[in-house]
Parts: sequence; structure tokens; C-alpha cells
Amino acid sequence: MSFSFIDIEESKNRIIFVVFIFIVLFYFLTTYLILVILENSLVPSSVLSRRGFFFPPASHALIVLIAAFFIALLHWVISTNRLIEKMAQAAGARPIDENDIYHQYFKNIVDEVSVAIGGRKIEAMVIPSAGTNAFALQDFNRRSVIGVTEGLLARLNRPQIEAVVAHEAAHIVCGDSLLATVITSLSELYEEALFKMKAALRGSRGRGSALFFLLYIVLLGMNTLSKMLHFFLSRQREYRADAVGTRLTRNPLSLAEALRLISEHWRGSGAEGARLESIFIVNPRHSWLDEREGLLSIMFSTHPPIKKRINLLLNMAHMDDKTLEANLKNFKRVSPVALAQFKVSEDEEPKKWFVFQESKWQGPFLFDEIMQLEGLRPDHWVRPEGLSRVIPAYEDKELKNIFLKSDGEITEPVCPHCKTGLSEFSYEGVHIFKCSFCSGIFLDHDKISRILIRKDMEFCKEVKKLGETIIKGKKKFILKNKAAKSAWVMDCPRCKQKMHRQFFVYSYPVEIERCLFCSGVWFDKQELEILQYLFENQEQLFAKL
Amino acid sequence: MILILVHVIIAVLIVWFIFIFNALVRHKIRVSDAWSQIDVQLKRRHDLIPNLVEAVKGYMAYEKDTLERVIKARTQAVDASGLKDKAQAENFLTQTLRSLFAVAERYPELKANQNVLKLQEELISTENKIAFARQYYNDEVRLYNTKIQVVPSNIVAGVCGFQKRDFFEIENIAEKEAPKVQF
Repeated sequence: MSFSFIDIEESKNRIIFVVFIFIVLFYFLTTYLILVILENSLVPSSVLSRRGFFFPPASHALIVLIAAFFIALLHWVISTNRLIEKMAQAAGARPIDENDIYHQYFKNIVDEVSVAIGGRKIEAMVIPSAGTNAFALQDFNRRSVIGVTEGLLARLNRPQIEAVVAHEAAHIVCGDSLLATVITSLSELYEEALFKMKAALRGSRGRGSALFFLLYIVLLGMNTLSKMLHFFLSRQREYRADAVGTRLTRNPLSLAEALRLISEHWRGSGAEGARLESIFIVNPRHSWLDEREGLLSIMFSTHPPIKKRINLLLNMAHMDDKTLEANLKNFKRVSPVALAQFKVSEDEEPKKWFVFQESKWQGPFLFDEIMQLEGLRPDHWVRPEGLSRVIPAYEDKELKNIFLKSDGEITEPVCPHCKTGLSEFSYEGVHIFKCSFCSGIFLDHDKISRILIRKDMEFCKEVKKLGETIIKGKKKFILKNKAAKSAWVMDCPRCKQKMHRQFFVYSYPVEIERCLFCSGVWFDKQELEILQYLFENQEQLFAKL
Repeated sequence: MILILVHVIIAVLIVWFIFIFNALVRHKIRVSDAWSQIDVQLKRRHDLIPNLVEAVKGYMAYEKDTLERVIKARTQAVDASGLKDKAQAENFLTQTLRSLFAVAERYPELKANQNVLKLQEELISTENKIAFARQYYNDEVRLYNTKIQVVPSNIVAGVCGFQKRDFFEIENIAEKEAPKVQF
């Protein structure tokens, strides 16, 4: 292939010009139609019957054309101003959280791909949704954004995410994103106008309403037409983006795997902006048209059939469907989260240590208690309980983590129960605050969904048991708790206002304390794990209802 | 009449010459841009390695040799200048890193430390960036080399002294069936 990514850039402007002409045409036609109707209705009916249908002169048409041009310009300016912010907001995407391990590694991947396309900056965004999908945005100032859902981050492995990001980057370099972003934000305006007119139509009667109705029909027709054109373009572009993306990563197999995994999972319909289908990698609205080929789907579906896309990619990799199946069967994600944090609470007796301080042996202490000990240095002598061996603290496999760890520093939020500072922790890659004594957890409300989606941790027996109990007696459990407490309880660790005790939601009846001022949430010991357990076993939970 | 014709032909030739010359210059600038991308990533790699060695030192007391080899290879890579030397030094560094990762597999505690894991992720990401930057650079060099060799632009290139550029060939750390580098 001899084309360079910079060459493609130049062809974009032409497409944008065509889109603009299209809008001018649209406004011309609608305004002209109104003019025709108006001028005909103003002429007395006696004259009309003599002269027949009345056409406005060419000079009127010219005035209308000029007016249409300016209206179109206004329309353009309004809908392309702050394009990325508006679209990202509509899709529910947010900038990445620098402290989140998953987000860090997603940002690394985006940076890698931006090197592959010649060092052009791409911003990374994340949609806090359990769906599996990805999107790309671009505006006129060459600002570009690639976003994925939390579900995608939690389910795909590194090469697969890289393949998806490369696909989206291909959309950006080929100019598809710019076109899609502009058209989608323009049609947003159409849809809004249509919606308002529909409401107005219901209220009005008589001659005016007939005119209104006609206008409505025209708008509807234009909207459908422009959409169909765009759908057609967008479908062709998916194939090309697959090809160019593969050219970037030189790894068609991973993209095929990613597409298969994405198509198997919930794509996040409803959660993301309902009218933004064409900026996503697969259509977020599951539709019966998706996997069909035929006239109807050629006219109305935004994405080509995934099966066909996968087959094309497999052809590139010289593989067949069976190999893909086998690959996915053996598929195992490598978690970016450190293994040590997998073991939250052990079932066995927790390990304890004696510490030699102030010239005598003290203890035994639990690990968390040692972390709180003042003045413990790496060269202090310690003795694990039940052993006679005395070693310096830095030689103990577990204790040396205290000194190695850069996080774990005591910070401002204070445990509402123990009144001590909370330590910073990383749980499922999410940055949280944890009390070292009572194991309570404090975090922002929007981080909960991330934790629920990720499955790096394993549950201990206790949590499983508690979870099962809740699932079994759910109704009783809710009734009992509902009557007992729904009250303002302890102080928020951050803003010191009273927190409200409530269920997380009624479908997952775990009690949490929620601050209504700073949206912080407090989980007592193991409550977060139980919530995760309920979420992962939700089918079972709903079957009991 | 003929005089006018000659003038017109000369004018067309000059415009054509300028046109091709500009295209060649654009290609050349793109190649050097692509090269600076590689340079940035290589520098990042050199900056990361001491941090990684420092972080794993505590765990891998018995692997002093491996660690020292990595540090030595890094120093060589930093000092190397010129395309060929650089490629060679980087390849050597890649090999030592590969053996470091192979040895690291024997220390499961390493995976329990989020700090080490983060450094490893950074290094892997940088390795990928180097691979992508190299890919982009070689693509651009191929376009440029083709341009200065095909008729008619080879005439302009010959007259104005455009030189062929070398490809940058280094090994990718994930290539070949060496130890698995998946984190």
C-alpha cells in the first residue's frame, strides 16, 4: 500500500464541503416550499381558479437561496461549536482517572497507537458502562478522542484492546470520525426540530396545521435521506477501518477476537446516547438488521454484519473460524492489577508478628496493626508468630511491602468509626480509601460501577456465604431492613456532613452509607465484596424474585 | 512563434521542477519527523530501565549478573550514535531485557508489587511505541526512497542531491519465541 496517513487528511475537506452543500440544499428546499404554499394561499381563490397553480418568480428563489445559505451557516456554527464536549457528554464519556490502573494502561495503549499513526495526539476517554463498545470523535481543530466502555476494558486483553483502538484510530486518520461527528451532531438538530413539531402538530388544527404538516414531512424526508447516505458511507468505512487498523497493528487475529467478544456481550444499548450509533465500533442498539444482508439493511443499518467483518479479518490472518473458536476457548486475560491484592481476607488464622521495639518484644500484631505502628523501621527485628526465627523487618516477605509501597500513606479522609486516617489503596485497579482497623472502604459513587464490572479479585468463603444468604432470603431481608433503618447516620469522612443509610439499589440489597453532598459512599467491612458477589450472580438473584 | 513556444516549454519545465522538488522536501521532512519519534521513545526506554532495575533489585539479589548486563547494555545504547550503531546497541539491550524478563518469571513476588507491575507496564508500552515508531519510520523511508528512484522525480533528486535513507531495523522484544512477556 502506498498511501501515507497524511495524504488522506487532505481528502477530508471535500467531504465536509459536500455535507455543507447538503444542508444548504435542505434549507433551500424547505424554505422554497413554504414560499410556494404561502404565495398560493395569499392569492384569492377566485384568481387561483382562473390562473391555476402559482409559481413564485426566479428572483424570489434567489433570495431564498441566499437566506438558506445563511441559515445553513448558522446551523453549522451552532452545531459544530464545542463539538467534542457535546458529543462526549451525549455518549456519557468522561476523561480517564489518572489513579486508576486500568485507565492508565488504556491510556498507554492509546499513546502507542498515536505513535503508530505518526505521533498525532489522541485523548483517551472512558464510558462508565458495563456494555462493551468503543468510539472515536474528531473536530475541526484536529482534536481527537478515542473512548471505550469500562466493560470493554475489563473483558478484553491487551492485544485485543490495542486492535480496537487501532480500528478507531483508523477512523480518525481516514476522516470518518470528523464526518460522523459532524453529521451526527447536525442530525441531532433535525431530530430535535422534528420532535418539537410533532408536539406542536398535536395541538393545532386548520389551514396552518396543514402547512406545518407538509413541513414536517419534508423535514422527515430530508432527515431519513441524509441518514441513509451516511449509513451507506459508514458501513463501507467500517471495512476500511478494519483494514487500516490491521495495517497499524499487523495483527488481524486480535481484532477478529475482539469483534467476536464484543458481539457476544451486551453492547450497552440505551446507556449511551441513543442517536450516536455511527460513532461506535459495533452498533450499540442491537437490531435485527445487524446480521442481515439485503436491500433493507443496506438502506438502514449503520454497521456491516460482524460475521462478515470477522471472516475478512480471518482471511487476512490465513485462519479459519475454528482456530478463532479454539483461541477464544483458551482465552485468559492477564490482569494489570497486582496479584497480592487478590487475597483480601484469608480463611485461615491471620498471620501475626512480634516486634522488637523500645528494647522489648511487643505484640503479636496483625499486618494492619503493624502498618499503624509508629516508628517501625526496615531494620527493626521481628519474629513471625509460631516461629523462633528472628529477622529484620525488611527480610520478611510480607512486611517489606510496607516499606516498598509508595501508596498506603495516611491522608485526610478519616474513618467514621475508628476516627483514624484512611489509607489509600488500589482495589480492582481503582483508587480507594480504606480503614486499616475496621476494613471499611470509602470511595466516590462513580467508581463503584468500575469495581462491579472488573473481576480480578476472588471471593473468600465468608463473602460467598453471606452473598448466598442474601440471595436466598432476599424479600425477607429487604422487608426486615426497610422497617428497621433508613436514617441519617454517621459523618462523611470527607465533608463531615451526615450520611444517609440506604440500600445500594433494591435489586442488590447491600446497605451503604451515602453522602448526598460529595457523593462519597462508605462500605463497612466486606460489604463491597458482597455487592460484587451479588452483581456477578445477578441471574440467580433475579430468578429468586 | 518558435521563440514563444520555447519560452512556454521552459516555463512549464521550471514549474514542474519546483513542484517535484517541493514534494521531495516534504517527504524528507516527514522522514526526519518519523526519526525524531523513534529517538523520543528510545530515550524514554533508557530512562525507564534504571528505575525498573532499582525496583526489582530487592527481590532478585541472586541475579546480579543479569541486572548488571542490562545496565551495561543500556549505557552502550545511550552512547551509541549513528543509525547502524544505534540499531546494534538497541538490539543488544533488547536481548538483555528479554533474559531479565525470563529470570523474573521465577520470582512470583514481583507480580505482587504494584510498583514493579506498573514499571513493567510502562516498559512494555514503551517497547510497543518503539516498534510502532520504527514501523512508521520505515514506511516513510520506503515512500521517500521510492520517490527519489522513480522516473521522473529521480532527475530532480539527482540534480539536487537527495540521498537515499537507511531503514531502521531493530528487534521487537515480543518477537520470536523467547520468553513470554505478558503482564
